[in-house]
Amino acid sequence: MTTTDPTFSAEQLAEVRRLQALYPDARGALLPVLYMAQDTFGWISLETEEYVAGLFDLSPAHVHEVVTFYTLYFRERPGRHVVSVCHNLSCHLAGAGSIIAHLKQRLRVEVGETTEDGRVTLLSVECLCACEAAPMMQVDDRYEMNLTPVKIDRILEGLA
Amino acid sequence: MPRLTVNGQQVEVPAETNLIEAARKAGVEVPHYCYHPGLSIAGQCRLCMVDIEKAPRPTIACNTIATEGMVVLTETDRVRETRKSIMEFHLINHPLDCPVCDQAGECWLQIYYMKHGLYDPRMRDEKVHKPKAVPLGPHVMLDAERCILCSRCVRFCDEITATGELGIFERGDHSEIGLFPGRALENPYSGNVVDICPVGALTDRDFRFQVRVWYLDSAKSVCPGCARGCNIDVHVNRRRPHHAEGRRVARLKPRYNGSVNRWWLCDAGRYGFTFVDDKDRLLAPTRREGETVSDATWDEAIAALAAALRRSPPDEIGIIASPKMANEDLFAVRRLLDNRALRRVAFRVPPRVAGDQDNFLIRADKNPNSLGAELVGLGGDSRAVLEAARAHRLRCLMIFGHDLLASEWPAAEVREALGAVETVVFVGANANATSAAAHWVLPAAAWVERDGTYTNFEGRVQRFRQATEPIGQALAEWEIVGRLLAALGDESTATRAEHWFRQLVAAVPAFAGLSYQALGDGGRLLAGAVKA
Amino acid sequence: MTDEKILTRNFHRQDSHTLDGYRATGGYQAWPKAQAMEPAAIVEDVKASNLRGLGGAGFPTGTKWSFIPKTHTGPVYLVINADEGEPGTFKDRYLLERDPHALIEGMLIAARAIRCATGFVYIRGEYVEPWRRFSAAVREAYAAGYLGKGFDIVVHRGAGAYICGEETGLISSLEGKKGWPKLKPPFPAIKGAFGAPTIVNNVETICHVPHIISRGAAWFAGLGTKTQGGTRMYSVSGRVARPGLYEESVAVTLRQLIYERAGGVTGNGRLKAVVPGGSSAAILTAAEIDVTMDVDGLKNAGTMAGSAGIIVMDETVSIPEALMVVARFYAHESCGQCTPCRESTGWIYKMTHRIVEGRGRRADLDTILDVARRGAGTTICAFYDGAVGPYISYIEKFRSEFEALTDGAAATPSRREAVSHA
Repeated sequence: MTTTDPTFSAEQLAEVRRLQALYPDARGALLPVLYMAQDTFGWISLETEEYVAGLFDLSPAHVHEVVTFYTLYFRERPGRHVVSVCHNLSCHLAGAGSIIAHLKQRLRVEVGETTEDGRVTLLSVECLCACEAAPMMQVDDRYEMNLTPVKIDRILEGLA
Repeated sequence: MPRLTVNGQQVEVPAETNLIEAARKAGVEVPHYCYHPGLSIAGQCRLCMVDIEKAPRPTIACNTIATEGMVVLTETDRVRETRKSIMEFHLINHPLDCPVCDQAGECWLQIYYMKHGLYDPRMRDEKVHKPKAVPLGPHVMLDAERCILCSRCVRFCDEITATGELGIFERGDHSEIGLFPGRALENPYSGNVVDICPVGALTDRDFRFQVRVWYLDSAKSVCPGCARGCNIDVHVNRRRPHHAEGRRVARLKPRYNGSVNRWWLCDAGRYGFTFVDDKDRLLAPTRREGETVSDATWDEAIAALAAALRRSPPDEIGIIASPKMANEDLFAVRRLLDNRALRRVAFRVPPRVAGDQDNFLIRADKNPNSLGAELVGLGGDSRAVLEAARAHRLRCLMIFGHDLLASEWPAAEVREALGAVETVVFVGANANATSAAAHWVLPAAAWVERDGTYTNFEGRVQRFRQATEPIGQALAEWEIVGRLLAALGDESTATRAEHWFRQLVAAVPAFAGLSYQALGDGGRLLAGAVKA
Repeated sequence: MTDEKILTRNFHRQDSHTLDGYRATGGYQAWPKAQAMEPAAIVEDVKASNLRGLGGAGFPTGTKWSFIPKTHTGPVYLVINADEGEPGTFKDRYLLERDPHALIEGMLIAARAIRCATGFVYIRGEYVEPWRRFSAAVREAYAAGYLGKGFDIVVHRGAGAYICGEETGLISSLEGKKGWPKLKPPFPAIKGAFGAPTIVNNVETICHVPHIISRGAAWFAGLGTKTQGGTRMYSVSGRVARPGLYEESVAVTLRQLIYERAGGVTGNGRLKAVVPGGSSAAILTAAEIDVTMDVDGLKNAGTMAGSAGIIVMDETVSIPEALMVVARFYAHESCGQCTPCRESTGWIYKMTHRIVEGRGRRADLDTILDVARRGAGTTICAFYDGAVGPYISYIEKFRSEFEALTDGAAATPSRREAVSHA
């Protein structure tokens, strides 16, 4: 995947300024602007970090601290869909281990990897706070709950 | 001014003093890693726990402000136990590589382990691995495994230089110090992060593996790199010279002076000492006749120089002193002027490239003693001296240290001037193009090889002390000029730098009241000096 | 003790998340009443209601509000902690999705009480749908004129870090930094978000406020125990017949929640252990479930009410495996700031992992206990103390189960298959 210089459009830059004005200190908008960048460019490359640092007049190292601290910023381009299986206690008690095993086998990837066709990245994550519906996982924006192998297969089929 | 009790001892401290500093005032050391008096409070290392009367459990001293009547105990059983625990936490993932670590001997993990740790290690699992021997920039090497994540270096780059190169990335026990990928730590003060690193994570690329620190000797000194006069310690390797290929000055370290440089030193000054052990050091007096250069004895050189001065009318003698010379040297030159009624004297030679300056420590004037030279009375028009030489109006020209051929002046004009003088005398520590053109070259001791004082741009007179022997036959300039004066019949009793300083104080009103003793370790402002 | 549902009363309505739905069930009635009250009177009411923070710490809400310096003239911020992340807890997700206007109305009242013009709602990044629902409600509230007239709400998304649920970690994150908790003092009420006095309250806590204003502090206090008023939402999960969210008086017992509300224990049907207040709460054995679920009741039982996340384990559950899962969580989520937490959460996870794999030594158990005890109370925030709760209680209460593994026998293969290592 080639990387081009990340740049926001004029509308996006206006949105950056709007977000920065929402906070008593413009830096408060760093997390939302990183989300914008990720939505726009697909992930947060080092070039993106430098670009965003420039928008905030921050040192790139300080943006890198933030990006590497949080789990929801992708530092490599993920698959078109991200499947995050909860492996914390309630889901563990509900068989998260076999859910992950099933996904690994179906997708032919290890946790942390992306399928060869770039379709799905498989992650296992800490508590997503839907323990009443364990085992569960997040697929992109959606919570998929009360998982069974059959349900998982149906969900995977729906991912283009 | 709250009064409190530390381990039973009453102390009074300024408002807003934290308990580490309050304890220090009571003579009690509270062990700590992340706290540094020049940086913001981080409270991360958790080592500086103390007991405060009525508090349910030990509290970190760095983030606790002393209050009236506070009762602080630093050596209760539970504080000792807590410290021991914290030491174990610090060492869980720390590699056991002291024998190959350059920090050994000045590592606060080692020191505090011996003092406060001494537990039986029980970590048998695989330690977390991180990058090792990563050059961060021209001067600093990182070993992330040795890092205890105290964040001092990060705070230094955020708060002191405001350059923000360093960060702590990732989280949990994978947290690691680093640069933004592809960037370098190359701000003008980068070496300070090595000083403030309490462990072997950040080491000095220039110094590392030269010599073990326990073989070093130290002398209090002043950086000669610019008009700021940062206080330093000169660390010299006299006991294991073969460990560093004969290099004597191992490193310079900033020495705290609250009025000058606080804890800091710029890289230009820190690494600017290499001339001391350079191959171009002048080792013996030499005489040049045509293309032939031959060694001479000091007696021959002094006699020849005295003769040249005697046979030249005062108007035909020029002296270009140097703002790199100490006050003592400059005063000796002043005596020479008075003795021979010389008028053609100056000390400023314009540099080819204007010096850089910032609003922190670095001064554009790259000389340590311009103000001293001015006050001693050597200010004059150096260009006029040069022009007099070019116009064949000088028979003798003494040049101290300067390489006139590397100055702003056109080299052709300088060559013309040097060629037009009967006796050109160069006095300096290192050879240069100007010394090569001189008839007599007299080796001067470098600043670390002698005692003396500089007057910084703010008018602070500060002592520097001899750290090592002069190389070869080199002598301090005051001694060279002193011998010359003696040969000219002005016998002086001044046999030490301090004697010259006393004479200077007696003769120059600006220095009134000063003495080496009064200067102490931190120097003294001249009366009437205005803080810039 | 009451069976009345307060926070969840509208959850059954399809339109409970809309302005119309909220108003149709009495919403935005408390706000005009509060507008007629002096700020100090609101604080006094909330104090008298015995409302305590429902995010985990259980601190009295009115008292917290009263810490804002009276003489302060600059901005004051109200920050809502919707960074739900305590394992076993899911209540705030429901509130954001199903009753977002209750939070907005509660914020309006709280903001008046502390003289605040700007509120921030910090929603965990994974909660995309709750964020959309709440943002839509905020837009409705602006359109209807509740917001934008002296009080504004900024909705802020987290980006994946449990520590941002700690109030000063949350503030750091809101300021655009990594979520490192801040040194105290200064406390947020003195110097919080962006350097201004700040009150951080949990979603559920603030959702109670309109009801306190509408129906009175005495009514609210009467719903609970002597030291804690009201109801709260219990998240019940694990090996129970009906996992889910149950709103009950804080005077309910753990036994009632497990057997009466959640339908009893599944698995082999026999209770082994319960986490009563999110994973940071010390575990209770089957013999310890006759406790009331209020802050002080659980404190007296040697554990904590925390976030009211209840995780039930039957006899077939391997406690060492459960501890390994929990230890992995704390190792992953330690922010890395303080040495004891940063270094020992990772180490303890390695030890629990080894034990589960049958490579543990009996001495490892004492090492974990000792390291946990030594680290407790030495850090900037309560995260590590939260990790210490399970470390110590799981081993102390189920030691023989751990020892059986350290004798060299690994967990049975069927168990190991269920364990994932990220």
